[in-house]
Amino acid sequence: MTADEQAADQAARGESERVDVTLTVNGETRSLAIDPRTSLLDLLREHLALTGAKKGCDHGQCGACTVHLDGRRIVSCLMPAVQTDGRAVKTIEALASPNGELHPMQRAFIDHDALQCGYCTPGQIMAAVACVDEGHAGSTEEIREYMSGNICRCGAYVGVVSAIQDAAAKMRRT
Amino acid sequence: MTSLPYPYTIRVDAEDKVRGKPIYAADDNRPGLLHAALAVSTIAKGRITDIDTQAASAVHGVRLVLTHKTMGAAKSAGFIMGGGYGFQSLQPMLSPAIAYRGQPIALVAAETLEQAVESAHLVRARYAEEPFGVSLDAPGVEVVHQADTPLKNFIPEIASGDADQALSKAPVKIDAVFKAPPQHQNPMELIASVAEWRGNKLTVHEGTQNAEAVRHGVATALGIAPEQVEVISPYLGGGFGQKNSLQMQTLLAAVAARETGRPVKLVVPRATLFHAASFRPESRHHIRLGAERTGKMLAAIHEVDAQTSRHDLFPGEYTATSSRLYGFGSFRGVERLVRTDVQTPGYMRAPFEHPACFAMECCVDELAYSLGQDPVALRLANDTDTDVATGLPFSSRYLAECLKRGAELFGWTRRSMAPRSMRAKDGSAIGWGVAVGAYPGLTTPAVAHLKADEDGCVVISIGGHEMGQGIRTSLANTVSRKLGVLPEKVRAVIGDTRAAPQHLTAGSWGTASAIPAAEDAADAMLMALAEMSPAGIADRTPAEILKAAGRRTLEVEVQRKPPGQPDEILGRLRAGLPSVAGPVYRSHVTFSYIAHFVEVVIEPGTRRIRVPRVVSVADCGRVISPRTAASQVRGGVVWGIGAALRESSEVDPRYGGFLNADLADYVLPVNADIGSIDVEFIDKPDPVFNRSGVKGLGEVAMTGVAPAIANAVFHATGRRLRDLPVRIDHLL
Ligand code: FES
Ligand code: FES
Repeated sequence: MTADEQAADQAARGESERVDVTLTVNGETRSLAIDPRTSLLDLLREHLALTGAKKGCDHGQCGACTVHLDGRRIVSCLMPAVQTDGRAVKTIEALASPNGELHPMQRAFIDHDALQCGYCTPGQIMAAVACVDEGHAGSTEEIREYMSGNICRCGAYVGVVSAIQDAAAKMRRT
Repeated sequence: MTSLPYPYTIRVDAEDKVRGKPIYAADDNRPGLLHAALAVSTIAKGRITDIDTQAASAVHGVRLVLTHKTMGAAKSAGFIMGGGYGFQSLQPMLSPAIAYRGQPIALVAAETLEQAVESAHLVRARYAEEPFGVSLDAPGVEVVHQADTPLKNFIPEIASGDADQALSKAPVKIDAVFKAPPQHQNPMELIASVAEWRGNKLTVHEGTQNAEAVRHGVATALGIAPEQVEVISPYLGGGFGQKNSLQMQTLLAAVAARETGRPVKLVVPRATLFHAASFRPESRHHIRLGAERTGKMLAAIHEVDAQTSRHDLFPGEYTATSSRLYGFGSFRGVERLVRTDVQTPGYMRAPFEHPACFAMECCVDELAYSLGQDPVALRLANDTDTDVATGLPFSSRYLAECLKRGAELFGWTRRSMAPRSMRAKDGSAIGWGVAVGAYPGLTTPAVAHLKADEDGCVVISIGGHEMGQGIRTSLANTVSRKLGVLPEKVRAVIGDTRAAPQHLTAGSWGTASAIPAAEDAADAMLMALAEMSPAGIADRTPAEILKAAGRRTLEVEVQRKPPGQPDEILGRLRAGLPSVAGPVYRSHVTFSYIAHFVEVVIEPGTRRIRVPRVVSVADCGRVISPRTAASQVRGGVVWGIGAALRESSEVDPRYGGFLNADLADYVLPVNADIGSIDVEFIDKPDPVFNRSGVKGLGEVAMTGVAPAIANAVFHATGRRLRDLPVRIDHLL
């Protein structure tokens, strides 16, 4: 049997397999039974209605889907949701403080107009916060290098770099 | 009021965007949603002889498999440049004919995205193949002179004086051929539609630059009344021309939703998008430029071959801009279209103006060097107030100011003229280049509805689409100034066919069309307020006046059409058809202008080309929203850098279609590719063009960047590179 025939055969036999997964999303424990092929990005967007992380390529090539997994930035489109079992995910929706006050990085993106259409912005901001936390915001060159996994088709790069420099200083102080 | 610069207002939607609010079409998560996926053609041309959907239908969770056999009664909505609504006249899945590789052949709708994707992979088609050609020089392509087609009626050939004779007598001549590759817009947002029926009413949520064309186009395709369709598109995750008409997926999602009785979400994957929407056509430019030994330009002839599809003639308007760059003594433009086996190409930021300015501005640099003249000085010496093509005056033209100010900011006088004369300490070659760009001043009709309430809120409902250019912020700034309310109290309802007719937002006409209409509406409101307030309205907000008069709300509506246009143009607006005037008006011609100054650094070993700094000075009339306008220009410069050094959609003559159909292989500029970009505006209003003095900006920003880079590469290396993009291997 070819792979296609196998898949068709499996499909014809009925319900596709479901897998239980339990993860922490923005501080809340979530348990779901999902198709094992579900990416973390689709889990967030289509199952949990957390649509801040965006789909720009679904191939790990653009960074629009960047979220934090156990405190590190990842492209969620390349992460099978089942692999996040028992782990903690943080998305743009939880970056502001619970009283709604913006994170310094969000504030800096507004102040430096580091966005246009806004589609890449949640991914840029999650990557930017990680970039500072990793200690990769030491110079403009370093920021540019470590932010190059996040494509902005609107071309807001100059603003992104100055926003990160601005926010980095404030994040270090807090 | 055009006399004062506008304040540096914060982008009004920035906070929603940094919070990741669900504002884009694909963020929709309504209950009962089915997910759709597409299967596409694996041949470049021919017809489907057999399509097998059995395995696809058997996948668990699949609710519908649609093919051309099961689509039911539907027809093409027509080509937007041929009186219709679509980006091309060919609506996939209405017949077994295949016109290009990647053309959708089936749609699957399923309970989950994973099931839909699996099922779409199992659709099997057999084809009868036919020969095809996908590039300008492929065997079997057909060349059409635009002047021999009905297109000549609305895109006249540019001809002024006897350019051939003047050229033959010119003591100095430049004769060169330039090539620009096909490119894809690739906004970060994928094309997506969510379609839902309630009874016989269809609602479409879709990021589009043209909600009215989506509405009328889907209605036409389905054979229903436009009143049965509403299209909601408050935000786009970038447009760049890709989303400027009805796309192929909207009808498919609508049919799937009707057949299943469920809302359907169809998000078109990135790879599919390279064939599912338009692209910038490949073009070739032959330019002959003749001048006196003093540098005075006597003649220019610009001949263009540009790609189109077999099924549509996508018009070429390249020479409409190249002819406006200087006071050429004479000019002749020729536009030829080459029919190839692709989806119909379309508009991508500065669609004609970027390649046209690239070709002409590289030639002008070559002229400067053959005369031994400074490239800025040569440009200034050939500036003009009069349009060569029509003999009419330009309504405003501050191109010389752009050049002078840019040269000053950049430090141009420190440049040494000779190629290969500037080096960095590490041995890198440094090149400094300059080029200008221009873009037609276009206008559309608009209907503006303004509502003020006693709580101090003002809502403006108007045609327009927010794709990141900042139209919401421009509207807020305008209404705020006129009515004396804070910008954050002004809410704009745009991209919504329920609120006002939605003209296509493209061609940099959004601000120049919406802002004067918004000012008209504000004036109408001030008059109405004055009527209800015998004590006068000076220094009082609308809310104060309303409260004093015991009124809760006040609403006014105005409509505005471009100068010299008949009233029928408002009917076209309401019918979702393009209704664009300009750049030639009865008594004047309007263009926006920009000058770019670029430094390139070419590394000695790798020959890698870097662009550490750019200075750009733009004349877009009055700047309505200075903060978002500066971002627009920086974005345009990034696009120019991409076009000059990176972006090209590769075709394979053996298989058809585009090869590098993802974001790893279609190389876009990333953060590390971009250095400093300093932007200034002349910020002088053009009151002849419209009451607000505003001209377009989004596209002119990109024009001229690529030639400035190519000219800088020449300055660094002594090599004239005339094919885009300029690549490392061209310098080895
Ligand atoms: S969507 Fe994940 S990297 Fe592009
Ligand atoms: S803001 Fe539009 S893609 Fe970055």
